[in-house]
Order: sequence, then C-alpha cells, then structure tokens
Amino acid sequence: MLGGLIEANVQANESKRQDFDTLAARVGIWVTDIDEGVTLVFESGRLSVYNGLEPQRTITIRAEAETVMSLSNLKIGPFGLPVYYDGVGRGVALKLLQGKLKIDGMMANVTTLNRVTRIFSVQ
Amino acid sequence: MTVNAFSDEWATQFKDEVNKSAAYKAAAKGWKWTVGLVVEAEPDKHFPESRGLVMDLFDGDARDIRIGSAGDAQKCDFVITAPYSRWKQVATKELDATKGMLQGKLKLKGDLPTIVRYTKASQELTECTTRVPTQWPDEQ
Repeated sequence: MLGGLIEANVQANESKRQDFDTLAARVGIWVTDIDEGVTLVFESGRLSVYNGLEPQRTITIRAEAETVMSLSNLKIGPFGLPVYYDGVGRGVALKLLQGKLKIDGMMANVTTLNRVTRIFSVQ
Repeated sequence: MTVNAFSDEWATQFKDEVNKSAAYKAAAKGWKWTVGLVVEAEPDKHFPESRGLVMDLFDGDARDIRIGSAGDAQKCDFVITAPYSRWKQVATKELDATKGMLQGKLKLKGDLPTIVRYTKASQELTECTTRVPTQWPDEQ
C-alpha cells in the first residue's frame, strides 16, 4: 500500500516527482501494532519495496498504523517543510515526544526525512 | 433490532448510524465519491454468494447505502474487497480497517492519496458498522 501511495503521489504532483527523482535513501517503516514493515529503497527516480527491514537503512520510522497514516497527512508548508503546528502536525510531534513515533537516523538525515515526508504526504 | 449481516435491513441501519455520527460528518467533509465493499462468499461460513455494499457518500452524509451484487460494488470509485470472515472481523473490532489495508488483508482499489486523506472518516465508518446489532450467518 505504501509503495502504491508514493507512486500515486509522484504521478500526480510535479514537485513530488522532483523530490522522488533526486532522492537516494533506504527508508524503513515498521508498523509496531501489526509487527510488519517495509523497506523503501529510493534510487533517484526508482523505488523498490521490500517486505521487512533491509540492512543499511538511512532512516527507520517505527510507529503504530494510525501514526503512519498521520505522517501521510502532514501538510507541507513554506520552504517545503512539514507543518507541525496544525492538528495533525501537533499530533505527530506529540507522538515523537512521547516515544510513540521513533525515527532512527533523523538527526543526521533531516533533509532526507523532509524529502521523504513530502513524497509521502497526500496533502 | 438485530439484523442479518449484509442484508437490506443491515444496510438501512448502517446508513442511519452513519448519518447519526457527528464524528463521521466532520471527518468526511469534502468526500464526494462512491464506495463499494465487496463481501466475498465463504460457503463454509454460511455466506454462499458474494455481495456488494454500495455507498453513496457525499460531504459527510450517507445519501444511500444499499446491498447489491459484487459487480455493483466494483463499479464504485473506491472498492474494498475482502472475504466475509474478514469483514466480520472488521465489524466486530477484531481487525482495524487501516491495519487491514496496510497488511493487504483488505484489498483497496481507487486513488490511494484520497483515501489516506480521509483515514479518520473511514475509521468512523468502521465504527458505525460495529453499532449495528448483527446476526452473523456463521453463528446461526
């Protein structure tokens, strides 16, 4: 489903397409309440989706299914940055603070994380 | 009144629940697409023929919800397909619909970004199914 979501977003939106074409990263998403996840391997305009967490990930996001959906609903604001001050954004930020959303590799890869968020966002 | 799962009476009660839900009304503002649920047959569970639930949902209101054939449901803008027992799990809160879609247990056809934008509305729709007192054919 996540691969299909990214594909639809990239096809429908030129700025997401530009992000997609320049992104090279291995992004793990682990959905904690179903104990399943995927690794999204972005290779500058190409995406491969693997079941489970593959090695050498740039970023790994661990959260419950509802929070993963919330990440897709983050609005993108000025300068292409995710908006954390509206209802959805505050909810995501709170989950981060509470440790219910964990993003390994976040500090060293903020630019990549923002790019992934833009590609992932349906807003 | 308890009604048989996925019968005309069930669809009517489900529609009433949707239209009573303030949470759905708020979450589905702007929704303007039809949704079809295909309930696949499971003869061993006393559900011998596939059925479709055809939902005309518009801007927070259920304008019409009716039972039809699987083919009727498949003509909708969004189609979610699963076997009878899976839908029963959803309607009895054993399976969360969002998790089910992420896991591929519920097969979704339609514009993914749109349905993700309305995750809360689809969760509330699921909640509404749990409020319909239902007689399940495999429990009769």
